[in-house]
Amino acid sequence: MLLFAIPLGITLALSFGTTDDLGNALYGWHPENYEQAFDPLFFPVLMRSVGFALATVGLCLAIGYPVAYYIARFGGRYKHALIALVVLPFFVNYLVRTYAWVALLADEGLVNGVVTDTGIRDEGIRFLNTSWAVIGGLVYGYLAFMILPIYAALDRMDPALIEAGKDLYGTRWNTFRHVTMPATFQGVLAGAVLVFLPAVGDFVSAQLLGGPGTYMIGNLIQQQFLGAENWPFGAALTTVLMAFLAIWMVLYLRSAARAAREAPA
Amino acid sequence: MSAAAPAPGPKEFDRPRFLRVFTALFFVFLFAPIALVALFSFNSTRSLQNFKGFSFQWYERFFENESLRDSLIASLQIAFVTMVVATALGTLLAFGLVRARTRWAGSANVLMLIPLVTPEIVAAVSALILFTQIGMQLSLATVMIAHITFSISYVTVVIRARLAAVNPEVEQAALDLGATRWGTLRLVTLPELFPAILASALLIFALSFDDFVISFFTTGESPQPLPVRIYSAIRFGVTPTINAIGTLMLAFSAFLIGLAIVMPRLLGRRESGLGVLIGRDTA
Repeated sequence: MLLFAIPLGITLALSFGTTDDLGNALYGWHPENYEQAFDPLFFPVLMRSVGFALATVGLCLAIGYPVAYYIARFGGRYKHALIALVVLPFFVNYLVRTYAWVALLADEGLVNGVVTDTGIRDEGIRFLNTSWAVIGGLVYGYLAFMILPIYAALDRMDPALIEAGKDLYGTRWNTFRHVTMPATFQGVLAGAVLVFLPAVGDFVSAQLLGGPGTYMIGNLIQQQFLGAENWPFGAALTTVLMAFLAIWMVLYLRSAARAAREAPA
Repeated sequence: MSAAAPAPGPKEFDRPRFLRVFTALFFVFLFAPIALVALFSFNSTRSLQNFKGFSFQWYERFFENESLRDSLIASLQIAFVTMVVATALGTLLAFGLVRARTRWAGSANVLMLIPLVTPEIVAAVSALILFTQIGMQLSLATVMIAHITFSISYVTVVIRARLAAVNPEVEQAALDLGATRWGTLRLVTLPELFPAILASALLIFALSFDDFVISFFTTGESPQPLPVRIYSAIRFGVTPTINAIGTLMLAFSAFLIGLAIVMPRLLGRRESGLGVLIGRDTA
């Protein structure tokens, strides 16, 4: 535990520090690192990270919920095998999976090869360096974190409830809205948090599938430490990220605790 | 988990067809990119658009490249040390958390989850700053320390769940029958925990071997862990050698998962390692 708390403490201390002329980190009280983080130059990057991460959560939900629903309700005896198949690709290195998309979407990549060969368009389509490529990479990277909790929630739910809803003349939509959705809400929430947390701090997807126009806070942090050598500013950015995520975590844990209290024993 | 009784009947009746198609498309989306990487790693030309013929040349390139080979060995070393140390420490920690009834146990239980939900980049930056502030030269050792730090929590979570499920009366029975404390631990408790320990060890090996972000921030100049090398290679463009490395890593991960599933069964256990990891005992 100490192994974890001490480094975070030093990061916090350094985030108020400054650099000397040689770029070495010095401690001190310099809150301007935080002002710089909200500077018009960098603030859009913060907003973009949150926007990308929210878009990722939304897309993961849109893709993951139907899949989890299908597997949980109609998977039958293949249920476990199908869930194992969902998890399997996520044991493949994240870099390699992202790279797979680079290879597919590159200007000289497979998709553009098909597009030009079949004559759909004379010129290839530019996929890389767009926001959609970065969000797509994040969705592909973290989809399992959304599917698993939703699947668990659906699996726990008594399917008779859905049938009861329909027997009581609920339309499909009404049954879903009043029965299935409330029963799986905690699963959705858990999935949203599990996807959002790593997505907002990710820098691989933006680095490989995007370009300078799509950089996220993770890229900025990485630059401060391994490129620009402004460690205190990097530490300040890290602290902002951590604080922001801690707020989400606390909200989520309170909601989960409330749900656990209200659930019938 | 109740027995998976096949009860189709009304379910089949309202099974929406579009969901089925959607799920099928989802699996294509999930596996196609990886499958293509694997396919093109055997391509005889550099092209990523046309598959010209079968060849092993990109694999040969990889094994002939001495620095890439050093990176592979470095990654295996890191993963092995991380696995051994983190599994041992994590198991001890789990015992402490479950068995020790002190007033710290509650807060320690919550604190332990923090590393699991912290974004990797925060953990990586913190580790980097710590190492440089105490004057440690960045090397494979610093990568190992950082990996062990983030791995312990995983081990503890898995083992703790298992330990809480062990019936304490069995241990008491052993003690009543004259077993020493150490004998009870060795003959009763550890065998009960064994599938969980094995599964978490393999998980840690896979996580450490695959980890990029933390390695990237805490590694020294050379040899760098394999994922870090892959990252720099991808930044300079797509080459078939990366296809080959990616395919090898893929096969290796699949092998580890297979091992986690199969090994407890080979040793005469009913539970599969994967079942232990996702917290349920699949027979």
